[in-house]
Amino acid sequence: MTGHSCRRPTKAGVSIDSGWVLRVALPVVATLSIVVPLAWLWQASRVPSVYSVMDMGYHDYGVGATADTSSGEHAGHMQGDTPGQQMAPPPLVTDMVADPARPADVRVDLVARQQTLTVGGRSISGFTVNGTSPGPQIRARQGQLIEVRLRNESVRDGVTLHWHGVDVPNAMDGVAGVTQNAVPVGGGFTYRFVADQAGSYWYHSHQVSNPQVAGGLFGSLVVTPKAGIAQQVDVSAVAHTYGGVRTINGKAEDLRVPAQPGQRVLVRVANTDNGPMKVWTSGSYRLVAVDGTEVHRPTDISGRSVMLTAGGRADLEVKVAGDGGAARMQLSKATAVIVGAPGGDAPAPPQPSDELDLLSYGSPAPLGFDPAHPTRRFEYRIGRRPGFVKGRPGLWWSINGHLFPNVPMYVVRQGDVVAMHITNRSSEVHPMHLHGHHEVVLARNGVAATGSPWWVDSLNVLPGETYDIAFVANNPGIWMDHCHNLKHAAQGMIAHLMYEGFDTPYRIAGPAENQPE
Amino acid sequence: MRTAYKVLAYLVAGEVAVQAMLIVWGIAGLGKWVNDGGVFDKAVIESEGTPPFPEVVGIIVHGINGLFVIPGLTLLLLIVSFFTKVRGAIKWAVVVFVLVVAQGQLGELGHDLPLAGALHGLNALALFGAAIYAGRRLRAVAAVGVVQPDARAATPVS
Repeated sequence: MTGHSCRRPTKAGVSIDSGWVLRVALPVVATLSIVVPLAWLWQASRVPSVYSVMDMGYHDYGVGATADTSSGEHAGHMQGDTPGQQMAPPPLVTDMVADPARPADVRVDLVARQQTLTVGGRSISGFTVNGTSPGPQIRARQGQLIEVRLRNESVRDGVTLHWHGVDVPNAMDGVAGVTQNAVPVGGGFTYRFVADQAGSYWYHSHQVSNPQVAGGLFGSLVVTPKAGIAQQVDVSAVAHTYGGVRTINGKAEDLRVPAQPGQRVLVRVANTDNGPMKVWTSGSYRLVAVDGTEVHRPTDISGRSVMLTAGGRADLEVKVAGDGGAARMQLSKATAVIVGAPGGDAPAPPQPSDELDLLSYGSPAPLGFDPAHPTRRFEYRIGRRPGFVKGRPGLWWSINGHLFPNVPMYVVRQGDVVAMHITNRSSEVHPMHLHGHHEVVLARNGVAATGSPWWVDSLNVLPGETYDIAFVANNPGIWMDHCHNLKHAAQGMIAHLMYEGFDTPYRIAGPAENQPE
Repeated sequence: MRTAYKVLAYLVAGEVAVQAMLIVWGIAGLGKWVNDGGVFDKAVIESEGTPPFPEVVGIIVHGINGLFVIPGLTLLLLIVSFFTKVRGAIKWAVVVFVLVVAQGQLGELGHDLPLAGALHGLNALALFGAAIYAGRRLRAVAAVGVVQPDARAATPVS
């Protein structure tokens, strides 16, 4: 481009200097104006080889709803200062454990292995717990102390166990690099927590979680109420897709549940995939619990499906007809639970076009706190934009406009009533999962909830939707608040909720190679 | 630089053609798989490991091409255009760039708003045409050789 540089026309009044500016300087400046910002963005997106989640992004103290009226009392909320805590060492996530002196009521040994699975006649490289996927179901009665001794036999990237939906003490949350180090091959970790919430839950690895959960490193956890359940048959149906093969409880076939005419059957459906799943039945049914919390006064449902978000659980009750027939419950179009006399069957019911709206299902009941006067309000705005994450260009998920790792750290104090406004401005559905807490849905798209209190730990947020949720900050520690499409989490859709003053001794990456997403 | 400009412009056009082929190949594979009894939903879209039907590769590569390769080529085309010293070269590189950005936005938006997907298809034709035209303009100039004042005047200004 310099060979003919002297041949440029020199019009009257244009000096040699300005010609040089036009020929060389302007193109170079134009190029730099593209390259330099890109290089700067790339550089800024890189993360250190070892870091603490405490150093990620920025602290978001929310807006104190009462701060504007009584600024003195709540001023600290806005500043992030913690007077009186300056001298004492910060409390650590590891301090938050179940009573160590209390003996365990339920003891389980779990061994994680990396191995080939055979699912539906196909060989898939995956993971097992005690030799199977899903791993063994853990059952406990409400109030019992569960002790799980995990041993990693052969999972090369290391493992942890996260108790999805159970509000465990922080040190037991199983998030590699935040609440513990990943358990290396040959190592172990003991989880202890009191199962004080009855309901349907599941456990899964939270180290390199996307391939490990997709590959089968999970199982179900059922906590039965002290008083027992009202149904005569209690069965779990854990839906999972292994390399495109649809399964219930690890088998690529329908699940048959023998039951007598007139019996009520509780089917605990768990969606362990990365995408939402619809559930519907041939006759009528009731949705008796969502994410481990009972629905208050559920009514009969027919001609409608239930949307079960990724990571979510729905407990459905079906009644076996008196005529000796069977009821069929579709877990999507692909698989079904058939309830009734052995050998009985029912034709596959067509997929309903309508969906049950949990905003208005069941009857209202006291929440146990007043969400109308939150002490903190947060925004969780999901978007998608081009940029760099960890030095890689792409179209990335953003939280409040920021890309990972520059995401908000939501800061609360124990006892806060927290309101969060979730907005999905991206074009894909996001199953939002907050660890360690249950949140109640107050409104969707500005329409207030009128039915049973709708408590969730996993919330399906469709494109364009907004949700107003609230929870009580009553479980101190540092908790993930992320998308449970674990691919999205691996792409940086991870924020945290921390209690003021808390710290963690663990690090992301580093010698333990912690990689929670 | 002119050769580079020309090559990049034609590469963008070629990539648009490849994109059209890939996505229809993928969708056709999906149709065949569903015909054979496969059930396609979000759980399958998001599942890991071996794809349920081989033509999924078409959809995946369409995404990689659209997200990285074509924007990369377009950015290079824009940078090269600053040095070509041909009137209109920058303008047409900018046109291609804007159409690529719009194409990405429409494609992404189409996941939730299917009508945007229709515009994604239409915009592909505009992008293909603009990239071909950008390359052909340079060919005409290159045939003349070094740009003389009168040759510059002969360059189409549109």
